[in-house]
Amino acid sequence: MSEPAAGRGPEPPEEPPPLLGTWGRLYALVLLGLAGWIVLFYFFGRVFR
Amino acid sequence: MSGWDWLVLGASLAFIVAYGVWKGRASRDLDGYLLAGRQMRWHVVALSIMATQASAITFLSTPGQAFTDGMRFVQFYLGLPIAMVILAATAVPIYHRLKVYTAYEYLEGRFDLKTRALAALLFLIQRGLATGLTIFAPALVLSVLLGWNLYWTNLLIGGLVIIYTAWGGAKAVSWTQFQQMLIITGGMAAAGVVVVVLLPDYVSIGGALRVAGELGRLNAIDFSFDLTNRYNFWSGILGGCFLALAYFGTDQSQVGRYLTGRSVTHSRLGLLANGLIKVPMQFLILLMGVFVFAFYQFHPPPLSFNPVAAQQARSGPAGESYRALEREHAMSFASQRAAADRYVAAREAGDAAAVAAARSDLHRAEAAAADVRARSARIIESSGGTAGDANYVFLNFVIHHLPVGLVGLVLAAIFAASMSSTAAELNALTATTMVDIYRRLLRRAPDAAAEVRLSRWITVAWGALAVFFAEFASRLGTLVEAVNILGSLFYGTILGIFLVAFYVKRVRGAAVFYAALIAEAAVIACWLFTPISFLWYNVVGCLLVMGLALLFQRTGTDPLPVAP
Repeated sequence: MSEPAAGRGPEPPEEPPPLLGTWGRLYALVLLGLAGWIVLFYFFGRVFR
Repeated sequence: MSGWDWLVLGASLAFIVAYGVWKGRASRDLDGYLLAGRQMRWHVVALSIMATQASAITFLSTPGQAFTDGMRFVQFYLGLPIAMVILAATAVPIYHRLKVYTAYEYLEGRFDLKTRALAALLFLIQRGLATGLTIFAPALVLSVLLGWNLYWTNLLIGGLVIIYTAWGGAKAVSWTQFQQMLIITGGMAAAGVVVVVLLPDYVSIGGALRVAGELGRLNAIDFSFDLTNRYNFWSGILGGCFLALAYFGTDQSQVGRYLTGRSVTHSRLGLLANGLIKVPMQFLILLMGVFVFAFYQFHPPPLSFNPVAAQQARSGPAGESYRALEREHAMSFASQRAAADRYVAAREAGDAAAVAAARSDLHRAEAAAADVRARSARIIESSGGTAGDANYVFLNFVIHHLPVGLVGLVLAAIFAASMSSTAAELNALTATTMVDIYRRLLRRAPDAAAEVRLSRWITVAWGALAVFFAEFASRLGTLVEAVNILGSLFYGTILGIFLVAFYVKRVRGAAVFYAALIAEAAVIACWLFTPISFLWYNVVGCLLVMGLALLFQRTGTDPLPVAP
């Protein structure tokens, strides 16, 4: 492990995620979740202000 | 603390240490010791990532921040899910493909040895100091509120962590973090339920939130753009994203967590689960602080939540003035409570005129209470104490208002949080020292068993250094901010190095190395000489490294070939 690391090992085939079929959809879920939380927090503050 | 509380606390700590030692008993080589044999499933990786980031400071200081400053701190975490997606898509496959032990190993293949050594060194300095703070912060609060000796509390937390981390390595760290997160969740959920139950019968959850909202504590999202405003939407999304990219993508205490995943899929899922859960989790912790704030609108709060500072002020030269302020504070609370009662009743009745009148009374009472607190803070400071008491609000509430047994559970949660972060940090410091410094620079290659033995001693040494630093850390303002400011001084530069490595293939080692040195000097200058808020240091450091590296490469003299 004392040698430079680049180039070690072959590129492994990309496994699909266990839900939603593709990684792109899972990433979109995380980002949509964030957008949802921002909207929720914004209105939460406005409703109780 | 009652006997039951001691029993709950003692049993929890004994279980964690014994479980960690047992789980980590089979590490026979560096792969097992530093990366748990790369065999962890995604849910263990996810909880390990969360437990590493959420130190005791998170649980002690965050509710206090909501109490004093409202919920705007949640914006600090808005960039985190974006960073999780970027890292899952880019960094995770690279680290897995190269089978690295540390993030810095990758830099040598991409650039050169000196860039790898610089990044590793910046990490060791920053994380070596921050680990001391991770131990010191809860020890300070516990020692002040429970009358424990600070030095022995530091030693207790540090000593327990060193035992199982040194013995069991990454496997012990990951598995104990799983258990620790369960204890933390249980303790915090119990405290959250109790604070709501303790509100007066006539105050509903909505009523409590309306009072808190009226007094500016529900300011979760602020879209105004201001570089000197520490927490707003833009600093959170941009600065927070850069900070999270740096922390999760280049800080070995986090990289080491998801490198324990058994495949790219498990590491990615661990990061993405964190991206989904972290923001609402922080929101709930802040919301608990808001409920503590609402609770103290109806129950008398102490003038200072730090009993040691208050006692120092009472017995100091201005003691009589402080006692007079305490009496004034009690009267001010009476009018504050009456105004809060009127406000809740008016809102329940839907009487707009009464709401307007009560609102004005509520703000007047809040201003009067703030004035008393400001004057008391000056007396506390003049008597040698620390005026800020945000770190003490939550635990003060827990100790004085939670039922027997639950106090022990919340204390166990705080210990667990401190131990989980510290353990991951010690494991990362050991991995970097062993792989990037000892093996690489000293060019030693002893047998596997000797390497594990040496790694154990390195863990003990870093642990001892962290405890030593913890003994000397004090007067740091709000502790959670102190840790984040320290991180932000270095993260931007490290992130810049990694972003150039990942995405700007034509830049070579010498260009990025000198760019990093200049960027780090500029970030430190920003901290010392400008009012720019610390989250922007990450952006400044990162962009400077990238810009200067490109400039140096274009005009430069680096003769090294581009790595394949």
